[in-house]
Amino acid sequence: MTPAAPHRWRIEVVRDATPRRRALSLAAVMLLALALCGLLLRAAGADPGTALAALVRGAFGSLNAATETLVRATPLIFTGLAAATAFRARVWNIGAEGQVFAGAICAYGLSHGLAGLSPLVQLPVVLAGAMIGGAAWAGLAGLLKTACRVDEVISTVMLNYIIVYVLSMLLLKGPWSEAGGFFEQTAKVDPGSVLPVILPGTRLHLGFALALLAALAMQVLLARTPLGYEIRGAGSNLRALSVQGASAARILILVMILSGLLAGLAGATEVYGVHGRLKAGAITGFGYAGIVVAILGGLRPWGVVGAAIFFGALVNGGTYMQIKTGVPSALIYAFEAIILLACLAGWAAAGLRIRKVADAV
Amino acid sequence: MTAAPPRLEVRGLTKRFGALAANDGVSFDVAAGELHCLLGENGAGKSTLSACLFGLLAPDAGEIRLDGQPLNAATPAQAIAAGIGMVHQHFVLVPAFTVLENIVVGTGRGWRADLAGGRRRIADICGRYGLALDPDRRVADLSVGEKQWVEVVKALYLGARLLILDEPTAVLTPEESDRLFAIIRRLTGEGIAVLLISHKMREVLQSDRVTVLRRGRVVATVVTADASGDDLSRLMIGRAVAPASAAAPAAAGGEVLRLDRLVPDRAGRAGAPISLTLHAGEILGIAGVAGNGQDELLETLAGLRPPLAGTMHLMGLQATGLGAHALAERGVGYVPSDRFRDGLVPDFTIAENLLLGRQWQAAARRGPFLGAAQMRARARAAIADFAIAGGGPDTRSGRLSGGNAQKLILAREFAKARHLLLCNQPTRGVDIGATEFIHRELLRKRAEGCAIILASEELDDLLALSDRIAVMSGGSILGTFPKAGADLSAIGRLMAGQGGRAA
Repeated sequence: MTPAAPHRWRIEVVRDATPRRRALSLAAVMLLALALCGLLLRAAGADPGTALAALVRGAFGSLNAATETLVRATPLIFTGLAAATAFRARVWNIGAEGQVFAGAICAYGLSHGLAGLSPLVQLPVVLAGAMIGGAAWAGLAGLLKTACRVDEVISTVMLNYIIVYVLSMLLLKGPWSEAGGFFEQTAKVDPGSVLPVILPGTRLHLGFALALLAALAMQVLLARTPLGYEIRGAGSNLRALSVQGASAARILILVMILSGLLAGLAGATEVYGVHGRLKAGAITGFGYAGIVVAILGGLRPWGVVGAAIFFGALVNGGTYMQIKTGVPSALIYAFEAIILLACLAGWAAAGLRIRKVADAV
Repeated sequence: MTAAPPRLEVRGLTKRFGALAANDGVSFDVAAGELHCLLGENGAGKSTLSACLFGLLAPDAGEIRLDGQPLNAATPAQAIAAGIGMVHQHFVLVPAFTVLENIVVGTGRGWRADLAGGRRRIADICGRYGLALDPDRRVADLSVGEKQWVEVVKALYLGARLLILDEPTAVLTPEESDRLFAIIRRLTGEGIAVLLISHKMREVLQSDRVTVLRRGRVVATVVTADASGDDLSRLMIGRAVAPASAAAPAAAGGEVLRLDRLVPDRAGRAGAPISLTLHAGEILGIAGVAGNGQDELLETLAGLRPPLAGTMHLMGLQATGLGAHALAERGVGYVPSDRFRDGLVPDFTIAENLLLGRQWQAAARRGPFLGAAQMRARARAAIADFAIAGGGPDTRSGRLSGGNAQKLILAREFAKARHLLLCNQPTRGVDIGATEFIHRELLRKRAEGCAIILASEELDDLLALSDRIAVMSGGSILGTFPKAGADLSAIGRLMAGQGGRAA
């Protein structure tokens, strides 16, 4: 309102941001995020350029590094898909963490008696077990919601705690403890149940291929099937869907089962693809990280794959960065958070613009 | 009036959204003490204009002056400070607060609200304009009409010299609407300028002057006394209106629907038992102010809420308590009153919305997948048949205007309604052009032998279309009139109803 100024600036909402706008806005905040990460590295006493170069080298610098990145990404693809599927339907499944545990427990429970049999028998049992376990644990939260109106955020978080201690109970002087072992873990699983390596000379196992397959399946399911139609519809206006005869309870349960099934597979890939034994340390943290991956991936299956590989690269490269520059690899988690916040800010900013407004004075 | 600058002066106001000019060089003025009406179809630019006035949008060009002073409100707070008050179509009140708290909230200095001072000033304002408003009642307990008064008093409390009313009577009974206009007249008598946004001709004709908008431009500003309703309609839509009207009753078909002492569930309370029969090729109009049981009755018939007692027969078969899906399969179409809440999935494309309810049917699928080509072909046909403007099969339906969204719902429900079509307020908030279209389509559907229940607050609609008119009030049907002998005043009295709402 100052008469001296011929114009002033104001922030406006843009109704339909174009993809180009979004990409530009995202690129801008990513640069900002990079700068912030650089500052953090500097504060940790390293030269940001060297440290970031080490990070990239560690993540993609060799065949070995690159495949290791994909191994790290594999469980995140599954849990990311799990969260994305649920969130697309506006079902707030925060329980992928517990569903990973349930998947691993169920896979182990069904398959450890089959030792010595052909992998053609054992592998399907392992995978089916993981899906059944994850789906059942998530379905329980779905039932609690439809039958007793328990909010799924509460129930899935609480179920996470329960399953972690169930595993502890099974492993600590329980029926599955390693004979004579000191740690809370099972003995090594039977070789016939281990997910085979798909690229000789690396650790890249069948689980990664299955994860890509799962992303493809989710993409097709969401875009082209009646169930995917209902999931997307529920995320936009569940009420209109029910007015047209769809059952909200049925959609919720199906979404929960689908989401839990995907999360359960992450349990199988870690136990049978990487660690070779069931222990809490092998499967902790992927469920919560999956939520971040899903959001970063825009709740789209291929976006989730990209975000999961990105996070896998950070974790994998972080180790190398620590060796090379002495920067603690825990800094990686700060990077993850900075990047997530930057993305969210970027999406929000794409919906706004700053404009010059002529003053009427 | 000639010497002083007008209360509101708008010159060359332009607002673009991309290539579309929602307001294109709009100029008009409102004098102090004038009731000025802004008339235009949906999408003519009325909402954009009022959003610019109230600081919600920044105009791209043009000038707004209030009492000669340039107004450049960048936020509603600045617009309010400058002396503009706005009563939105959807009230912005806190139900759990009292009238006093709702009005005073946000006006205090610092952390404290001056409740005692506020009480005095509210009493002052109410006394001056003849409003009976108890400041200590909870807003949740007020009738719709009273809530609107709270909004008006709130605007005056904040010192409004120009009051913008956005379609204020959409939710009022005729009586409440009359009272509102009496209050508006007292406001203008005190020198307050009122800008009324409406497309109800009955109200428009009560104003002093009318500015007609079409496609973002001012077509004309006329002195209301010099114009007839037909003149204004013609200006608004750019051609003469050809009102649809029911031909002679189609040959009375067989019985489609029979209700025997059906008791809809009214939020846990039992409504009155309702008995009626409906034949093929017949339109039963349901007159009544919104909230008098129409929603519950139609939702019960559509299978969305199980009845508490009584029976319903469809095409001679028992249909009591069937769900929405089962009834749709038996040929019932349902057009809900709140089209954006109940009728559409905004993130779906037009093609996807047309599929709603049939997504599991074998006919809609090819193997496990939805038939995309078929969906698109169907959407193209519906867009052509129902003149849906504003997009193709792949357009997100959340971007459609109210009228086009309604046409999309009609296209879907007409296809489903082989025997019975339930229409709740199909023309609410829809402009004259689209209303005309909807009326013609309803009559076409009737000619095809479909039985139709049409609930509407617009008596003119009902008189033009219905074969019989039932009047609902307080949840029960108080009387049914054949169209031939319909007595407007009798219907109006019944609408006001026994045990009518506090007004």
